[in-house]
Amino acid sequence: MLSRRSAMWWLFKKEWRELAASRAWWVLVVAMGPLVGVSFISAVRTYAEASGLHGTTAGVGEAFSPLVGIWAPTFSSCELAAAFLLPFVGIRLVSGDRQSGALKLEMQHSLSAFSRLAVKAVVLLIGWLVAFVAPLTAVLLWKSYGGTIYAPELVTIAGGHTLNAGLTIALAAATASLAEHPSTAAILTLSVTVGTWIINFIADVQGGIWERVAGYTPTAMVAEFQHGLIRVDVVLIATTLILTGLSLAAIWLRLGKGIRRRVYESIMLGAGAAAIILACTWVTRSLDTSENRMNSFPESDEAALRQIREPLRIVVHLAPEDPRRLDLDRQAISKLRRIMPNLNVEYISSTSIGLFEQTSENYGEIWYELKGRKEMSRVTTAEGALEGIYSVAGLAPPRENDNEIFRGHPLAVPPNGAAPIFYVVWPALTVGLGIFLRRRLA
Amino acid sequence: MVFEGLKVSSFSKRFGRFQALENVGFELRPGEVLGLIGPNGAGKTTLFECLAGVLPCDAGRIEMRGRQVQESERFSLLFYLPDGTAPWPSQSVQWALDFTIGFFSGRHEVREQAVAQLGLQPLLHQPLGTLSKGQRKRVLLAIGLMTPQPVLLADEPFDGLDLHQTREVASMLRAHAARGRTLFLSIHQISDAGRVCDRFVLLSCGRVCGEGTLEEVSALAAARTGAQSADLEEVFLALT
Repeated sequence: MLSRRSAMWWLFKKEWRELAASRAWWVLVVAMGPLVGVSFISAVRTYAEASGLHGTTAGVGEAFSPLVGIWAPTFSSCELAAAFLLPFVGIRLVSGDRQSGALKLEMQHSLSAFSRLAVKAVVLLIGWLVAFVAPLTAVLLWKSYGGTIYAPELVTIAGGHTLNAGLTIALAAATASLAEHPSTAAILTLSVTVGTWIINFIADVQGGIWERVAGYTPTAMVAEFQHGLIRVDVVLIATTLILTGLSLAAIWLRLGKGIRRRVYESIMLGAGAAAIILACTWVTRSLDTSENRMNSFPESDEAALRQIREPLRIVVHLAPEDPRRLDLDRQAISKLRRIMPNLNVEYISSTSIGLFEQTSENYGEIWYELKGRKEMSRVTTAEGALEGIYSVAGLAPPRENDNEIFRGHPLAVPPNGAAPIFYVVWPALTVGLGIFLRRRLA
Repeated sequence: MVFEGLKVSSFSKRFGRFQALENVGFELRPGEVLGLIGPNGAGKTTLFECLAGVLPCDAGRIEMRGRQVQESERFSLLFYLPDGTAPWPSQSVQWALDFTIGFFSGRHEVREQAVAQLGLQPLLHQPLGTLSKGQRKRVLLAIGLMTPQPVLLADEPFDGLDLHQTREVASMLRAHAARGRTLFLSIHQISDAGRVCDRFVLLSCGRVCGEGTLEEVSALAAARTGAQSADLEEVFLALT
């Protein structure tokens, strides 16, 4: 056991040295500063202008949520880095051993391929967290401007991007172990990324099952975290996909096993993962960590809705690309799904855009059905949906509680000092650190 | 694990239509230096990789004391040192040697001796990726000698070495075997093989053409061709 632990430690040290020697990782770390800088500076400037900087009229207080105004755009640079830079770092670390012949030596240790790959994944994750210092610098800058920080929503967004990075690492490991050459692995990884975008596009056009599938793509997953929403099913599915990717990589790194056996094991792994993912889609629990409860109805409304035990059916006559349907989904349906497990939503439309259905009978109608009673509404706001539900349930709407209203945190301060930090200090520091570390590790 | 010799039998490997190994079998005795002799393309590397478990074989059995050695056990018995690889190219030679001791629970006591005898002292701080073919080969040999498995399979251990180095490495390998380690060396230069090996396995077109000491394979060649020779090259030509 001691020997195994010692071997793991040596492997960890080796992977860390390989990562530190990898130019791909240093490019990621260096690029992260300017990437975060562009998004942060632009977000702070817009936020400040909307808050009344330069004599502009200040916007409505409720609109000023740092989560949406600052952190979602700032951290979106991490999504870009995870999609276009991190895969190459992962592929380099996994393929490098194969290309150099180190794999043939290391695989002669009794450590399992999964253990060896898990060490690589941990090192890659640490490498990602090092790059994550850039957005954390933005957090410190925001604090220095006098900005408000609500820790739960910040942790949620950072956690979402880390989970996304985990998915990228697992995908890169899987493609790097499947493909003989790193360039093939890079093409495969980017194909999967583009594939998820295609699914999102089809979901926007077609709706239905595609919409459900698109809800689990990395882009959709990150978007939910960026809104301060932690969906347990999304976390479970992402974790399953990460473990599946790493296991697939481990299967294909066992060069001593026959191809047929590896294919069989891959199919079994895929089937098992699919079953787990399918089971996870039934989990409906979620957590709204946003300060302004943007994923939830007011607490008084939620308490009233919880009294409804019977199945609620909502029939929506709106096309997938109709902006009203997007409004209804974001402002009402997604919030209802969180608190009403017995909710059944049915979308009816003949076309994807709905432009030529406007004159059709029923188009635009939203029907609420409960205990045989029906109520029709055309309003797509949260208030409209609640009104329809209370009406069909025979409930009196709860009184509004002024204390529940989010007042917002306007901040009319320009992004002072951010540009030199992200465009000069960060690149200079990371390049200097890179040269120092590479020399020290040599 | 006490190594009491291995019996290798029925190893076969096919790449598509090409039969790389066909029913290969031989014995590996404790403390001996066994040479795997064969021309380029004979299947030497394929055989080593199949034995070490880094390449799947179509058939094959390894026995020790009459009991089959399971795939999972092979890693504790055999260590395969591939030819033509440049592992951990960005790491220094010193670090690669430390890693071998740390990761593989290698033989610490062999390190200093290997560094001295293989002339690695001036290279210790050099990254492996910057070494010449011969220098890399010496580092790989040091790695192989430090590994703890009782059997070392070294693919072309003299490839890339000059005459002086070949002789020094040969005597070092012999000394290493004298301390009880079993060496199985794949060599395509027959003169090099004659210098270092106790016994030989002659491989041609994926088949074993003969096995034994020089006298035994000479007798085998004489029985087949009628011409007696104590020269390994002649014996090899006669048997393949």
